[in-house]
Amino acid sequence: MRQGPSSEEDCFGLLKQFEHVLESDPLIDEVGFIHPSQFTLLDKEAGSSNVYQHEVQLNSEISRKFWNQHHKLGISTDILVQLCKDAKHVFLLALDEYKCHGNVCSESQIKNISCSPSTPESDVMKHSQALLLLSSDFGTAWNARKFILSKTDQISAFTEELRLSGLILSNSPKSESTWSHRRWIIKMISRRFSTPQEIITKESELVESIGERSKMNYRAWYHRCWLVSYMAIEQVIQELNKSKGWAGLHVADSSCFHYRRRLMLKVLDFFYVKGNNVYDRTQAHKIWKEELVWNKELVERYVGREFFYQALWLHRRFLSLNWIMYFACNHSDVSPEPGESSIIMNEEIANFINNEIHLLESCMTVPDTKFEDFQAQALHAVAYMLWLTKKIPELWRMLEEKLGREKVKCLLSIIGEERPSLLLHLVNV
Amino acid sequence: MSTEETERGPRRTNPESPPNYNFSSRSKLMSSTSSSQLVADKHVRYILMAEKKESLESVVMDHLRMNGAYWGLTTLDLLDKLGTVPEDEVLSWVMTCQHESGGFAGNTGHDPHILYTLSAVQILALFDKISILDVGKVSSYVAGLQNEDGSFSGDIWGEIDTRFSYIAICCLSILKCLDKINVEKAVAYIVSCKNLDGGFGCTPGAESHAGQIFCCVGALAITGSLHHVDKDLLGWWLCERQVKTGGLNGRPEKLPDVCYSWWVLSSLIMIDRVHWIDKAKLVKFILDCQDLDNGGISDRPDDAVDIFHTYFGVAGLSLLEYPGVKTIDPAYALPVDVINRILFTR
Repeated sequence: MRQGPSSEEDCFGLLKQFEHVLESDPLIDEVGFIHPSQFTLLDKEAGSSNVYQHEVQLNSEISRKFWNQHHKLGISTDILVQLCKDAKHVFLLALDEYKCHGNVCSESQIKNISCSPSTPESDVMKHSQALLLLSSDFGTAWNARKFILSKTDQISAFTEELRLSGLILSNSPKSESTWSHRRWIIKMISRRFSTPQEIITKESELVESIGERSKMNYRAWYHRCWLVSYMAIEQVIQELNKSKGWAGLHVADSSCFHYRRRLMLKVLDFFYVKGNNVYDRTQAHKIWKEELVWNKELVERYVGREFFYQALWLHRRFLSLNWIMYFACNHSDVSPEPGESSIIMNEEIANFINNEIHLLESCMTVPDTKFEDFQAQALHAVAYMLWLTKKIPELWRMLEEKLGREKVKCLLSIIGEERPSLLLHLVNV
Repeated sequence: MSTEETERGPRRTNPESPPNYNFSSRSKLMSSTSSSQLVADKHVRYILMAEKKESLESVVMDHLRMNGAYWGLTTLDLLDKLGTVPEDEVLSWVMTCQHESGGFAGNTGHDPHILYTLSAVQILALFDKISILDVGKVSSYVAGLQNEDGSFSGDIWGEIDTRFSYIAICCLSILKCLDKINVEKAVAYIVSCKNLDGGFGCTPGAESHAGQIFCCVGALAITGSLHHVDKDLLGWWLCERQVKTGGLNGRPEKLPDVCYSWWVLSSLIMIDRVHWIDKAKLVKFILDCQDLDNGGISDRPDDAVDIFHTYFGVAGLSLLEYPGVKTIDPAYALPVDVINRILFTR
C-alpha cells in the first residue's frame, strides 16, 4: 500500500475526477487525448466557453484536464502519465481486494461516504473501465471484467460491455485486446442467449465506420471476417450487397476486398461445394460473374488516375482463378482441390482467358499524357497475368498466340524492371 | 508477440512546438553522421536508458514489459553487449511474473498469457538460465492451451490465433517438450489457414499478413513441415512487399515499416527465397530509420524510435549479414549461438 498524503481522499485526485466525469455523462460516445492548447479551440467549435460539467477548482490552470461536451470526452495529455499510473495502481489494488475477499464489503468501503456504497466487484468494474479508457491493451483489466461478467445472466451487462468497448475503440481502433473482448462477448451472448442477427449486423456496421477513419485496420477487418462464421447464407449475400458501395469508394483498401473474398468463399462453399442442385450453382455463378464484371469496371474506371489500385488487381487474381477452377469447368461433379494443377482447358475457360488477355492489352497501351500512371497500371496488369501463369501453365502458349512473341517479351521486361528476381524465376521454370 | 505495427509520430524538429506527448524528440539539424552505418553503441545506450525513463510510452506499455525486455535484451545480445545488463535483477524480475498456472504475465501481478510465456523463456535462454525453470510446469501451461482442432488459445479466455500456434511450438521446442502437444493437429490447423495467395492469416479465411506468415512458416519450419508451403507462391507474395524506397510493408497498399524487415525477411529465408528481394536497398532503408544522435530505430525514416522497432531493425540487419551483428536464427528469433547451446546439450 502506497504511503501518500494523510488520507486516501487526497490520493488519486485525478482518477477520482476522471471517474466522476464518466459517471456524470453516461452517454459519452467518443474519447480522445488532447494537447492542452487544443482546449480553447474545442470550446470555440462547441460554441461555448468556460462551461465545466464537473466539480473542479476555478483556477484555470488546474482545471484544464478534462473537456466534456456534446458527449465527447477529451483528456489532457499533460495529465495522462499520472492518471494512467493512478488508474493502474487503484485497479490492481481493487482486483487484489476482490480476489482475496470475494464480494464482501470491507470496513473501509462501508465507511466510504463520498459516493454510493461500493462492493469489491463494482470497484473492479469502475476502475477497470477508467484504466482501459487510458490503456486499452491492459489485458488483466479486460480479464477481470470477463471474470465478473461470466457470472451474470443479464444480457444487459453484455450489451453495456459492447458500448464500453465501442467507446474505447473510438480512441484506440487498433486495440487488439478490445476487439478480442468483443468476440468473447458475442460468443457469450450466443451461448447463453441467442445470436440475434441484429448484433452481427451492428458489429459489421461498426467495423465499416471504424474502417472509414482507420484505413486498412487489420484488427477491425479481421473482426468483420470472424463474424462471417456466425452468418446464415442469406446474411452473407446481404453483406456482399450492402458493403459493395463502400468498397467502390475505397478501391485501395485491400482489407475491404479481402472481406469480400471471405464472403464469396462462404458463398462458394455453400452453393457450389455443398450445393445439391442446379439452382444453387446458378446463384453462385451469378454472384461470381457480377463481381468479375464490377471489378473490371473499377479497373477500367481508374486507369490513368493518380494512384494505382493494386487491391483491385489482387482481387481479380482471386476471382479469375476461382472462376476457372470452379465455374468454367465442364464436369459438374468434380471440384478441384485448391493447389492441385488439375485445370483442364475447355472452350469456356479459353474464352475467359482471351478476354483477360484483351484487358491486359488495353492496360498496356500508353497515351501521351500521364505516362507514370499508366506504367503502374501496366505493372499491376502484367503481374496479374503472370501470377495466373503459375497456376495455369497453358496460359503462356495462349499469351504467345494472342500477343505475339515481342509483346510477351515486353511483359517480361515490365516485370523485370520492378522485380528482377521474379523475372529470373519465371523464365527459368 | 505483437505482430501489428504500431503507429509512430514524427520526431519533434522545432523545440518550441508542443511536444508529441508520447514520443522522444530529436532535432534534424543536429545529425551530421551519415546514415550509411549502424550506430551500434548509440542503440545500446538507448536500450539501457529506456529502462529508466518514465514516459507515457513506458507507462502505457508496462503490461507488456516482458515482450519489451525480450526485444531489448535480444538486441543487446546481437550487438554482443548482453553483459552490460544486471543479469540477476532481470532474472529475478522475470520469475516474479510467473503465475501459479505456470504461465508468465507481462509484468508482476498481471495475468498470464502465452505471449509473455515465450518471451520469458527466450530471455532465460539468452542468459543460459533455463535450468531455473520448472520446465514441467511451464510446458504444461502451454500444452494446456491447445484446442481440439489443433489450434492454440492465448490464455484461458479462448482467443485463437496462429501466432499462438507459433509461440507454443517455439516455446516447447526450446524446452524440448514438443511431444506434450499434438504436433500433427497443430500443423494441420496452420495449413488450414493458408490462403489462395499463398500467405497465412490468424485463423482460416483471415487476410494474409506478413506477421502471421512469419508465425506459420516458423512453426512449420520448427516442426519440419515446410513441404506444406508453396514456396514459389508465398515467395511471390513476400517479394511484392518491397516498395520503391527499399523498405518492406506487411500487406499490399501499406507503408513500409522496419518491423517487416524481420517478418518478411525471416519468412523468405526459411523458404529459400531471400534472393527475390533487393537486400542492399533494404539495408539502406533500415539504416535510414536510425536516430543517429540518440540511438534507437523507428518504423520509417524520421519517425520517433522505440524498442520494438530497434529490435526488428537490428534483427533484420542480422539476417542481411550486416557486419558487427551476431547471426540470428530466423525461426526461433534468438541468436544462433543461443539456439545451438540449447539444441546440442542434454
